[in-house]
Amino acid sequence: MKTLRKCQLDKALDTISQNAVVYAPVKKGEMSCFVRYQDGVELELEENTLFSPKGILFPAAEKMYSYETTGLDMEIKKSDREFGLSVLFGVRSCDVQAIVCLDDVFLSKGFADEYYLTRRQETTIVALGCTNPGVNCFCQSMGLNPLEHEMADVQLFDLGDIYGLRARTEKGEILVKALDEVGLLAAGEGVSNPEVGEFFYNFSPEGVVEKLQMMFESPLWNELAQKCLNCGVCTFLCPTCHCFDISGKKQTAHCGHKLRCWDSCMFSEYTLMAGGHNPRPTKMERVRQRFMHKLRYFPERYGKFLCTGCGRCMAKCPVNLEITQVIRQVKEAVI
Amino acid sequence: MVRETVKWATSEEIKHINALVPKKAKIIKIIKETLDITTFHISSENGRIPFDTAPGQLVMLSLLGVGEGMFSVTNAGDHLEISVKKTGVLTDALHEVVEGQTVGIRGAYGNGFPVDFCRGKNLLFIAGGIGLAPVRSLIHHAVKRRDEFGSLHLIYGSRSPADLVYKTELFETWPAVSDFKVSLTVDHGDDEWQGNVGFVPAFVEQIQPSVENTACILCGPPIMIKYTLGVLDSLGFSPENIFTTLEMRMKCGIGKCGRCNIGSCYVCLDGPVFSLAQLKCLPNEF
Ligand code: SF4
Ligand code: FES
Repeated sequence: MKTLRKCQLDKALDTISQNAVVYAPVKKGEMSCFVRYQDGVELELEENTLFSPKGILFPAAEKMYSYETTGLDMEIKKSDREFGLSVLFGVRSCDVQAIVCLDDVFLSKGFADEYYLTRRQETTIVALGCTNPGVNCFCQSMGLNPLEHEMADVQLFDLGDIYGLRARTEKGEILVKALDEVGLLAAGEGVSNPEVGEFFYNFSPEGVVEKLQMMFESPLWNELAQKCLNCGVCTFLCPTCHCFDISGKKQTAHCGHKLRCWDSCMFSEYTLMAGGHNPRPTKMERVRQRFMHKLRYFPERYGKFLCTGCGRCMAKCPVNLEITQVIRQVKEAVI
Repeated sequence: MVRETVKWATSEEIKHINALVPKKAKIIKIIKETLDITTFHISSENGRIPFDTAPGQLVMLSLLGVGEGMFSVTNAGDHLEISVKKTGVLTDALHEVVEGQTVGIRGAYGNGFPVDFCRGKNLLFIAGGIGLAPVRSLIHHAVKRRDEFGSLHLIYGSRSPADLVYKTELFETWPAVSDFKVSLTVDHGDDEWQGNVGFVPAFVEQIQPSVENTACILCGPPIMIKYTLGVLDSLGFSPENIFTTLEMRMKCGIGKCGRCNIGSCYVCLDGPVFSLAQLKCLPNEF
C-alpha cells in the first residue's frame, strides 16, 4: 500500500485532472453530489453524498440522437458522445456495488447499452473506504465491506492524516503511478487497514428472496402502499435504480432529438399502455414492484440484491418508508 | 488514465451493442385492412429487409417528432410488415403516413415463436382481431416450408366481417395451401356473411380440434384468451403446447429500461412469446 498525505489531496486531484476529468464529492449548501473537480471546490469527504455518482455514468437526461425531416425523407444523427477519460473519486463501497449492479443491467444479457458502455470504459473508479458509518447506512448488513470494494480500480483507506492507496486493476495502477511520479506518494510500509465504526443497523437479508417468492399476494403491500406517496424520491436518489424513459423533443416542426431520462416505477404512467390497460394500476402494485425488484426479481436474474445499503431512500422518504423495516417485515411475515 | 480494453464489449455474452438509434427505412406499401387497422410494408433504403427477423419477434417503429411504438412482425419475407391498430397518438399519426415516407426502425427484439419446437407438429392457430398479426408471421413461415410442418388449422374471429384482417389470405391464399384449414367466425354477421357467427372460444369448442401432436398458438384480446384457454384445457391441450404473446409497455426493447417486467422476466427480451406453462410460473401482473 502507498500513502498520500491528506493535505496533498488537492495536488493529487490537480495531477489527475491533467489527464482526465475528475468527478469528486462536493458540498453544495444542503446538498452534496459528484461534480467536476476544480480548484477551490469544497470537497465532502466526511459522509457520503446525497446524490450518488450514478448520474455520471448514466445521466438523468441524455441526448441519444437527433433527426431532421425534409419532405418524405429524414436524417438520423447519432449524438457524438464526448465523454473522455474520467475519474470518479471518493466513491463509497455501497456506490461501487451500485455500479456493479448497473454493469449487470447495461452490459449483460445479450445487449450492451452503448451510451453506458462508453462512459464505463473510460472511467476509473477511486473508492474511499468508510470508517464512520452514517445513521442510515446498512451496507454491511447487505453483505458489503464498508472499508473496501474489490471492483474499485483504486481503493483509498482513511488513516487519519493520510490516505492509504491500493491499486486493484491496470487502470488503477496507471493512476497510482501518475501520482507517484510527481512525488506525492510515500511507501507506506507498516500501515495497516483501518477499522470500521459501529452500524446502527445490523441484520441479515438471508432468506428474503425465497420468502418473497411466496409473498406476491401478501397483505404487506397494501399496508406499505397506504403510507407511500408514490413521489419517487427513493428511486431518484437510489444509486441502483436505472429505469428510464425515451422521449422526443421537437425543436421545430422538422427537427428535434430523442432523449432518455430517468424514470420511476413509482409513477402510474410508467406501465400505462396505449390502449389504456395498466398492469400496475394502483400504488399497491407499484410499491410491490419496487421492493420485489430490489429484493427478489433482481437477485433471481442477476444473483445479487438491487439494494446496496446506502440509506439514501430512508434519509429522504417523506413518510419514512424504510427498506430495512420492509426487509424485517418480510422476514417476520407468516405465510 | 486509460480507456478499458473493451472488457465488456468482447464478453461472450454480449451479442449486440445497441445505442437505441433507429435505422432509416421506407414505407413501401400501405394496405388498409379495416377501418382502424392498417398494414405497412417496410424496407431498408436499398430495398431489402432492414434486419433479419424471426416469427413472433418485435420491432420498434419511430415516427420522429411523434414517438416510437413496439409492433409485432407480421410476415416472413424480403421486407418487413407490421399491422397497426389505432389506439393512441402514435398509431393515429401512423395512419396519416404515406407510401414512400421515411421512418425509423430498430430491432428485432424478443424471442419469437418456438419454431424448432413446432417443427414436425400440427399447428393450430387461434386468433382474435389484431391478434392475427403476430400469428401471421408464423403462418408465413410454415407455409413457406410447408413440408416441415404437419397439418395447419387457423381459427380466427373478429367483431364483424368488415373487421377481418388479411382478407385475401383468409379467403384465397391460405385455403389453397395443402392441408391448411381456415375456420372463420364473427361476433356479429351482416347480410352477406354466410360463415359462423359467435365468439372464438365457443367456436373452438364447436370445432373440437385434435390435440394429437399439435402445438397451439393463441393470440388475441385478453378476454378471448382467458375463455379459449378453458376450452383448450377441456380438449386436453397441455400447458407446454400452448403459446401466446404478451403485451407490455416498452421503451428500450433490450431489457434495460425496466418497465416491461413480469416478475424477474422482461417481456421485450425473454418474451413476447410464452408457453402457458411458463406463464403459470410468473406473478399475475400483466
Ligand atoms: S420516497 Fe417514500 S413516499 Fe416517496 S415513493 Fe419512495 S417510498 Fe414512497
Ligand atoms: S422495453 Fe425496456 S426493459 Fe423491456
